[in-house]
Amino acid sequence: MASHPLIDSYLAGLATRLPADSVDELADGLIETWQHHLARGLTPTAAARTAIAEFGTPHRIVDEFVAQAPGRRTARLLLATGPVVGGCWGASLIAGKVWTWPIQPLLAAAYALALLAVVLTLLAAGTTRHSYRRTRLGTIGALTLVVLDAAMITAVAVLTPLFAWPMAVAIPASLARIGLTIQALPKPRTG
Amino acid sequence: MVPDSSIPTHGSDRLWLMKAEAQALKGHLDGLLLATLEDGPRHGYAVKEALRDGSGGRFDLPTGTIYPALHRLEDSGLIAGSWSTVDGRRRRTYRLTAEGLRRLHADRSNWHAFAAAITALLERRPWPATR
Repeated sequence: MASHPLIDSYLAGLATRLPADSVDELADGLIETWQHHLARGLTPTAAARTAIAEFGTPHRIVDEFVAQAPGRRTARLLLATGPVVGGCWGASLIAGKVWTWPIQPLLAAAYALALLAVVLTLLAAGTTRHSYRRTRLGTIGALTLVVLDAAMITAVAVLTPLFAWPMAVAIPASLARIGLTIQALPKPRTG
Repeated sequence: MVPDSSIPTHGSDRLWLMKAEAQALKGHLDGLLLATLEDGPRHGYAVKEALRDGSGGRFDLPTGTIYPALHRLEDSGLIAGSWSTVDGRRRRTYRLTAEGLRRLHADRSNWHAFAAAITALLERRPWPATR
């Protein structure tokens, strides 16, 4: 069944700010609401206005999607736990005398830069309130952090000449973070 | 005597109560959404209608805000969604999962205990004397 220009314009506005699947779902609900008001005897335009008013402003809907976006939730979780895991690794590297490890300085600098980029990406995703696109950065940051965690564990296993006790905390903390991150990644809405 | 600004008076009564109610509803939204799916699968608009009708019109949330909450419950594994096509439109319908049903029973049980305690305190009765 055809829709109304007011509804089409409302949905077009949402389509620029939300994923296509979500807009399809919103469209179904909005058109059903419109049809409900048409059946009550309202004119097509009055029914469209009433349906849109019932749905809420696009700004409010987008903000609600942003607040509950999986990328934003993952970013906030990683930002909250990051200092603890980072502290464990800091203690491990000092206790393990990282400066004696056979690592190229360029490689170490690249790791540090990648870690900084991840923190900034997670901050961008975790602090947004109005941009759904920015919440997706949380997923990118989380996946990169999984790679960095895995790289650090591998480096310790292969390169470290002596095992320092803080590693006994840092390695399980990183493994737990990898597991939690993979579990928290957004799943495709199939089915 | 200086009036307590935290106590609502006259015109501010309704606004204060509405805010308090919205806050209380937010804390129970997940349980309420799960309850609307207990009798069978529904799509977003039907969930919103069930919330409104089931509460006698008291919980009439903006329809558009129901969907992100449903997505969050789906990500948590409490409900499962599936796509179908109705009148040429894509429709996502949600059903409770076994985990969602367990969570609903737990929420319901907690609510009954909480409501019973509040009711017991609010009902008019003589309070025990204190020394």
